[in-house]
Amino acid sequence: MTFRLRAVSAAAVTTFALLTSTAFAEPKTLMLHQWATGSDAASIAKLGELFAAAGGKWEQTAIAGHTANTLAKLRADVVAGNAPAAVQLKGPEIAEWNETGMTANLDDLAAEEGWDKVVAPELLPVMKPAGSWIAAPMNIHRINWIWGNKAAMEAAGVTELPKTWANFNAACEKAIATGKICLAHLSADWTDATTFEVVVYGQDPELFKKAFVEGDIEALRSEGMIKAFDQMRLMVDKYMDPAIAGRDYDTASNMMANGDALFFIMGDWEIGVLKAAGHNPGEDILCAQAPTDWGKPGFILNSDSVVFFQQNDPDYIEGQKLLAHLILSPEFQTVFNISKGSIPARMDVDLSQGFNPCQQTAQADLKASVEAGTLVRSMAHNMTVLQKYRGAMMEAITEFVNTPEMSSEDAANNMADAVEAQM
Amino acid sequence: MADAVLEQTVDHEAAVAGRRRFWSRVLIYGLLAIFSLVYIVPLFVVVFNSFRDLPEISRNGLIAIPQSFRLDAWPQAWDTYCIGGACEGMKRYFFNSLMMTIPATIISTALGMINGYILSKWRFRGSEVLFTCMLLGVFMPGQISLLPWAFLLGKIGLNNSVYGLILVHVIQGLSFTTLFCRNYYVNIPDDLIKAARIDGAGFWRIFWKIVLPLSPPILIVTVIWQFTGIWNEYLFGVVLNSGAQQPITAALVALSTGGTNVRVFDVMSAAVLIGALPPLLVYFFGGKYFVRGLTQGAIK
Amino acid sequence: MSIVGAAAQVGAPGWRDRLGKAVPIIVLAPSLVASFIYVFVFAGWTIYISLSNSSLLPTYDFVGFEHYEALWANRRWNIAYTNLFIFSVFYVIGAMAVGLLLAILIDQRIRAESFWRTIFLYPLAVSFIVTGTVWSWLYNPTAGIEFLVRNLGWSNFEFALTTDRKLAIYAIVLTGIWQSSGFAMALFLAGLRSVDQDIVKAAQIDGASTFRTYRKVILPTIAPIFLAVMVVLLQFAIKTFDLAVALTNSGPGISTTFPAIYVYDLMFQRGQIAEGAAAAVMILLALAAVLVPYALYVVWRRRKESGNG
Repeated sequence: MTFRLRAVSAAAVTTFALLTSTAFAEPKTLMLHQWATGSDAASIAKLGELFAAAGGKWEQTAIAGHTANTLAKLRADVVAGNAPAAVQLKGPEIAEWNETGMTANLDDLAAEEGWDKVVAPELLPVMKPAGSWIAAPMNIHRINWIWGNKAAMEAAGVTELPKTWANFNAACEKAIATGKICLAHLSADWTDATTFEVVVYGQDPELFKKAFVEGDIEALRSEGMIKAFDQMRLMVDKYMDPAIAGRDYDTASNMMANGDALFFIMGDWEIGVLKAAGHNPGEDILCAQAPTDWGKPGFILNSDSVVFFQQNDPDYIEGQKLLAHLILSPEFQTVFNISKGSIPARMDVDLSQGFNPCQQTAQADLKASVEAGTLVRSMAHNMTVLQKYRGAMMEAITEFVNTPEMSSEDAANNMADAVEAQM
Repeated sequence: MADAVLEQTVDHEAAVAGRRRFWSRVLIYGLLAIFSLVYIVPLFVVVFNSFRDLPEISRNGLIAIPQSFRLDAWPQAWDTYCIGGACEGMKRYFFNSLMMTIPATIISTALGMINGYILSKWRFRGSEVLFTCMLLGVFMPGQISLLPWAFLLGKIGLNNSVYGLILVHVIQGLSFTTLFCRNYYVNIPDDLIKAARIDGAGFWRIFWKIVLPLSPPILIVTVIWQFTGIWNEYLFGVVLNSGAQQPITAALVALSTGGTNVRVFDVMSAAVLIGALPPLLVYFFGGKYFVRGLTQGAIK
Repeated sequence: MSIVGAAAQVGAPGWRDRLGKAVPIIVLAPSLVASFIYVFVFAGWTIYISLSNSSLLPTYDFVGFEHYEALWANRRWNIAYTNLFIFSVFYVIGAMAVGLLLAILIDQRIRAESFWRTIFLYPLAVSFIVTGTVWSWLYNPTAGIEFLVRNLGWSNFEFALTTDRKLAIYAIVLTGIWQSSGFAMALFLAGLRSVDQDIVKAAQIDGASTFRTYRKVILPTIAPIFLAVMVVLLQFAIKTFDLAVALTNSGPGISTTFPAIYVYDLMFQRGQIAEGAAAAVMILLALAAVLVPYALYVVWRRRKESGNG
């Protein structure tokens, strides 16, 4: 299949290159993103290859680690009057930067290629914050996954991945009884927030929407939130090992993959990490929707996208068109997402070839959760509230995780106060 | 320093004092040895790990006597390792840093010497106040000047270039170099300058013939300070420049904060050493003069 | 005594002479203008921005002090300046104590002096980024010092500084001392070497022990250097950024946030440029609180000296 896919993509790319190269000299682009290493970098490199194969001149700035550095760079570039041609931006930031009036409009290309019909409908308000296309979505990540080591689960007498939080706690008690760690974890603001938002969502999706999507202060302070913190405290104190702080991602992932821990709650980029470590997600490592207490399919969505800033140089303008076209092409959506673990942002891509069983489940669950009305966007991954509110929430959560003596009431109050202080 | 006194005392007392002296020597060298161990161990750890293979590191930990020896990590770190999406290793960032650090050090030091010369030997009404104002630059936190610099460099067309960073480092360094040189030149006797003036020497001639020949100690302090400071700077390098224009510190951070990756301690160790080597060499060769230069007045 | 005044009496007045007098000012002017912009315009801009309603990008609509109120109501800012206080105290005292001890040891006419000095000075050559990265490995409980000592047989040894939210700040303190004490040593050593040897000899002839000579004679004469070292280290502490980012990246949780990190996060990550600028102004004020008294002291001392001389 890879061969056929390559052939198709090469054909598509060359026709596009022919179309554009007759009119303009050389499409160029400079893309700013934060995928500096590993499978992320490999995925984005594919975009560069496609771009170069279409006759473009590809340049990139990858800024590792913290989103802060990517955004600092973007801000400095914009202030310098030199906005980058393409930037990896997501969620509410797309709307925010759109308001500055500096983003490029992609409506013509979108109309020509019929993006509105093929892109997952939940992404449209994010990519078209004021009605015009200004961002090109690359993928859809699912946050609410639970990963389980099959052998370790069997050894502990756990037959299947837990469906509810009560199941989860029961499975953990079994794991502890056999001397295993139940949940692998690493403590950082985004990982603590990821686990916590999965807990909140699993207990009460309406609370999730009120608190994390709308930023409602009373919801952040509510009984439901305190209950979620209680569950989080139980997990931190009892089901995780004490050495979560300062651990790197790979170590945490390996704890589960090697069977030292039973479970890992993490988004679908874990697929790429597991595969790189020689595992087979869906076979030796099981995957399922993270526990929910309300018996329906659920989906916490995250999406990576690229925003284009207005340029004066025709080469770069042409480069933006080419890049946006490539990003939305089924070819790129396929190769990129196979290696990144996410699923295509286009609904019309067939996942039966090359994609992992977990990814296929994700696509089915996405459709089901849209029908059930349970789909939400991720707070921890910057798809809902503005950075200042998200930052305040994440700080409160990670402080709670790292402060054993902090009560759930205090944590909920802290979080509500911190968000309120930003209003 | 007790030697002179000891020689004049009688034999018995000399013996007691000698024994005491012996034990105090033991104490001195013992303490020095303990402290140097603490100081040197991190360096050894990195050097060793750059030659050990990865499975051994993960088995025996980061601090261990090497049981394997291989050079692979070095060419990988220098030439082929993928950093920030470009699989060209550290070398291009290394050269960026050199291209930035050497001119910025030379220009800021030269300007600092002339400024220091003026502010110490050609004082005019208000020069002390102006000196104090320049001095404030020493204390400016980088986060404050980041956005203004971005704006300014954009206006003059030097954004995202090594030249822009040279300009930033020259101006930010001026306060340091001027301070060092001015405080050093203050100690050159005014009579020397006065005599030269009576002989008809002008501003530049006095600088070339009198001040410059007396400058090597402070020159070394200033060059070391500027070179290491500019080479090691991270914030401006990562924010003001992109992609192929970034200095080596940006590449190091890109390499070591890998997100969801296996940590390749061997390559990282080699990369860390490549990134630290130039300033280390500067210190190893110039460290002796650094303390001497400080002694000769830089800190007054 | 200014040279210009003396020169005027010597040379004959003329255009050449007037030009000659102007040369220093002309040569100095570009540096002055550049420094003026760097210090005053940039700081002034930041102060103005802190009073504006800038968010994603700088804007210039004046709103007053509301961002300062938000800043002081913020938990993380509270943690940040508490950390700064703890760090400053332990780091400055620690680096000065170790630096002074090393300087005194090296001052004992030891063999291979430059060898020892180089060992203690080399951390200064290494960037905070490298220092932070390497020390984070040493602090790493599963591969660093804790792992080593446990392997040596002390099986319940604990040295997990960076992973304990109450202790992580001290990990940064220790690393900071490791990095800077060589610098303090160099400055102290320079001070010790500048002490008039006749006074030292006189004290020794009076029979004072080495310890007593230092305490009563040498150290008091280099008191100004103590102050200078303290001020230099304090301003390093106030600007702490790279080291904390590379070592703990504000964690565990937000327990090792520093003011400079707070500024950076708000101004750049969160798009809260005004509140970030307000925090930056606070850093400037903290620096001023250290530097203004020091500057006044230096001026006072200089006046006194020139009055005596």
